[in-house]
Amino acid sequence: MPLLGDFCLYFALALAAYCFVVGILGFIRKDEIGFRLAETGRRAGMGTFFAVTIAALVLVWAALNNDFSIAYIQQHSNRALPIPYKIAVLWSGQEGSLLFWSWLLATYAFVLRVRHKVDTRLVATTSMVLAGVQVFFLLLTCFVANPFGMMSTVAADGNGLNPLLQYPEMVIHPPMLYLGYVGFSVPFAFALAALMMRYPGEKWIHITRRWTMVTWLFLTCGIALGAHWAYAVLGWGGYWGWDPVENASLLPWLSGTAFLHSVMMQEKRGMMKMWNMWLIFVTFMLSILGTLLTRSGVVQSVHAFAQSSIGSWFYAFLMIILIVCVVAFVKNRRHLESENKLESLVSRESSFLFNNLVLLAACFAVLCGTLFPILSEWVRGFRITVGAPFFNKVMLPIGLFLIFLTAVGPLLAWRKTSLGSLKKNFALPAGLSVLVGVALIPFGVKPWNGIAYLYAWLTFVFSTLVIATIVSEFIRGGRVLQGKLNTNIFGGMYHLTRRNMRRYGGYIVHFGVILACIGIAGQAFNQEKEQEMAQGDKLQIGSYTLVGQEYTEDDNANYGSNAALLDVYKNGKYLTRLSPEHRQFKASNQGTTIVADYSTLKEDLYVIYEGLNPETQHPIIKAFINPLVNWLWIGVLTVVFGTGMALVPNAAQIKSPVTVTAAAGALDPGGGASMRPAGARK
Amino acid sequence: MKFAATILALFLSVGSLMAADNSSRFESVGGKIMCSCGCGQMLLKCNHVGCPNSATMIRQLHEQVAATDDDQAVLNFFRKEWGVTAVVEPDRHGFELLAWILPFAGLGVGVCLLVMVVHKWHVHEAGVKPAETRLDPHLESLRARARKETEI
Repeated sequence: MPLLGDFCLYFALALAAYCFVVGILGFIRKDEIGFRLAETGRRAGMGTFFAVTIAALVLVWAALNNDFSIAYIQQHSNRALPIPYKIAVLWSGQEGSLLFWSWLLATYAFVLRVRHKVDTRLVATTSMVLAGVQVFFLLLTCFVANPFGMMSTVAADGNGLNPLLQYPEMVIHPPMLYLGYVGFSVPFAFALAALMMRYPGEKWIHITRRWTMVTWLFLTCGIALGAHWAYAVLGWGGYWGWDPVENASLLPWLSGTAFLHSVMMQEKRGMMKMWNMWLIFVTFMLSILGTLLTRSGVVQSVHAFAQSSIGSWFYAFLMIILIVCVVAFVKNRRHLESENKLESLVSRESSFLFNNLVLLAACFAVLCGTLFPILSEWVRGFRITVGAPFFNKVMLPIGLFLIFLTAVGPLLAWRKTSLGSLKKNFALPAGLSVLVGVALIPFGVKPWNGIAYLYAWLTFVFSTLVIATIVSEFIRGGRVLQGKLNTNIFGGMYHLTRRNMRRYGGYIVHFGVILACIGIAGQAFNQEKEQEMAQGDKLQIGSYTLVGQEYTEDDNANYGSNAALLDVYKNGKYLTRLSPEHRQFKASNQGTTIVADYSTLKEDLYVIYEGLNPETQHPIIKAFINPLVNWLWIGVLTVVFGTGMALVPNAAQIKSPVTVTAAAGALDPGGGASMRPAGARK
Repeated sequence: MKFAATILALFLSVGSLMAADNSSRFESVGGKIMCSCGCGQMLLKCNHVGCPNSATMIRQLHEQVAATDDDQAVLNFFRKEWGVTAVVEPDRHGFELLAWILPFAGLGVGVCLLVMVVHKWHVHEAGVKPAETRLDPHLESLRARARKETEI
């Protein structure tokens, strides 16, 4: 079986290389022969998918069947590992995760190539670009980090999976992140293809809108799942530590968010074409940079794979991408000139510009902080640590400015906003947010108590502003339709949303982001306490009392565990029993913390078992009160829901798809009238 | 006797206030120090059993916080004792100041560029014929639909 996997990888590389080369020939020739060559390349590209799929299945099969003759399986699995984690072995190590990346890329490209009739010419060039990326990743899996390397002697059992990864969320967190990282290859490939072909209009944006949103959604889910995993498993009481690898996932998310906003300017006003082109180029390059940071050992991180020589390959690949993008841009930049100009600084267009600027400033700040240790090593010979306090100080003001823009942007009209309409739209939300700001003070949110309190207070005030503007947008639109359709306000809002899923889905996404920000602001009020807890001992934190009941030990084939049983009382009333745990995994001889969490909308009581005091043999318990954390997770779920809404076609368009297709077909000079514009029914 | 009790009560309350103050300083300064064992965790968050460094570092932090009121002096002690990587925030002078300046300089450069672009557009707008005459009617129909999709 390992030989089959190996063969499939080489075969996939050959097919991808063929697809890439004939794609270039087809692009250069631009005649019938070129077209036919490109068509053979498309089919070869589809073949790549099948070959990489077989290779990935072989590796999963080897993990499921404990084939420790394969070095990768021996290093990342063991016999006692539960089946879901054996499947997760595919993305748990350097070699397997590169194969997984290749497979995801091949899958995305397969879907694209199957749907080539959406625009055969554009897809042919896009397919060529994707094949180039695919060749790079297959080169890595074949020659640098081959997952089918064999052991000289077969061990009886494997080293096991990293215990930190043995958690249900970790089975889906990496695939989500990879789907996000890899997914940006598609809009990137479309953008580069459209630029190289000097393709007219915004067709590439219309085609890739859903790809980009789905990709962004995957990346959002991946980041959120990672944060939740850190909260539930790492046991330090938080969910975001500004670790370099966490930052690496945030970088393309920030630039991708900027891209999702600024493409609207191009769609609606024909503006910011160069900007959008570079935004998607940068987003893709940041995805590759994230992979480089995770895999090269260039930064120290709990997430990083072992140090290896793979970094130089990624540096070279990044350089090639940059050169290709710059050359294509310089050669074709006149094609990207704006058709409209900014008419006023107080307009929706300018709010998009500022939004983009702030998102990219955030991206740049994260990049600076992440790479500063490397820079300091080059300059001064040692690495300066840049940790969470630095990022918090730099990112919080930027984040607050972004929340403020989220509130103001939707209130501004396209082209120009009059002072009168600004006052009219802004007065009520602004008044409400000031009221909330004042009302929070008696509840202890006093901005003069320290910088953390000030930031939290500002977050609550600006969040109220955003929520009030969103609600007022729904009510205002709902009222218009209420009269027209002779229904009530809720009926009006429902029809309003169904007619404009993209816009109102976007508002729901903003609402979700604000809920998440409220959850993050709760950190300003965190409390923590550590204590040794024998039977009957009490730990008081906030209004909670923890009473030590029992200390237990357990053992199974995979791990041994110690747990403390604690009864929780709030204001003297019994609430629940918590059981924080420490597990020691046998195969890897590594430990992990299983957090016990009593979670409410107001706060989490988060308890960890720190170990036994060797002198007294009593468990040491650390308890945290983390206010508002649940709002972060609710916010993420709202973002997912809102993005899903924005992906659904509008109700009005469902009734008249023919009109839409005709309008879209008029755009296609190549006769590709089958292009489906954004919003039309599948 | 009453006087002595009052003095004792006052002394204890001042003592407890100072202890509370030291405790919050311990938390805030401790939040800027990294555990040096290689676990990648902040010193006060390092929770792995059998860590060879965190207990010593935490004891030293207690001692330093009690010995001096200057937070920077405490951080400098850890830089000297455990190496520059023990402190998680770059310094505010010399080369390390660059880390603090760069993000905001980036934002500043971005704002300047934005203003320049907007200014250029305004100047350009005044000198050319109306943009509408150069618009592709087909593209405009699609944009009109995009506007309709996202506006009321």
